[in-house]
Amino acid sequence: MNDIIQRVRQLLATRLKLAKAVDEISDDAPLFAPTGLGLDSIDALELVLGLEKEFGVVVEDRAVAIRVLTSIRTIAEFIQSQGKG
Amino acid sequence: MNSDPLSHLPHGISFRFVDRVLEMTPGKRVVALKNVTVGDPYLQGHFPGNPLMPGVLLVEAMAQTAGLLLSEGSSAVLAQIRDARFRRPVVPGDQVRIEAERLGGLGGLHRFAVKASVDDAPVAEVEIVLAETSQATTNVF
Repeated sequence: MNDIIQRVRQLLATRLKLAKAVDEISDDAPLFAPTGLGLDSIDALELVLGLEKEFGVVVEDRAVAIRVLTSIRTIAEFIQSQGKG
Repeated sequence: MNSDPLSHLPHGISFRFVDRVLEMTPGKRVVALKNVTVGDPYLQGHFPGNPLMPGVLLVEAMAQTAGLLLSEGSSAVLAQIRDARFRRPVVPGDQVRIEAERLGGLGGLHRFAVKASVDDAPVAEVEIVLAETSQATTNVF
């Protein structure tokens, strides 16, 4: 699990060009709230495409995205639940 | 799709930067042409005596080409332009071949990789996100 979390952090850092900010948040910080990374819907699309490419997991729609993209940990848990990573 | 995909573009004729569609795989990939001629009005000022297609208008042509891949009846606006590169000038007489591929989408957002070339030489590439303004027509996600 820790390995997946590190790879998710790497994905956030590279795909969203947020290396410094990603280093400073916890695994449970809210990605979309201003208190976390403050991501928006365009970032969400970028993440969904990145997850598919890097991990082979498909986020089917907006409802799944809202659930999965809550925090670094929820993304990692989703990857693990899909038998990937 | 009817026989003329260009008729789906919401742009008026004075702001249309795609002349013809060569290939179309709906929702996935499209190839279109933009012919650059001395009569194109923006070339009068860009630049006097030295006509050069503005890079931003090339991006507009690429965004319009990408827009052809959205469902019929939907309109969209630019939400992101990323990693745009302009590799060589585009001048009157050039026929720009624009190829857009839809990389994926979420909600009403769609990401595209778009390449432009003249005589098989790359002139520009860009990644574009379009945001549909009419959510009712969204049927991809």
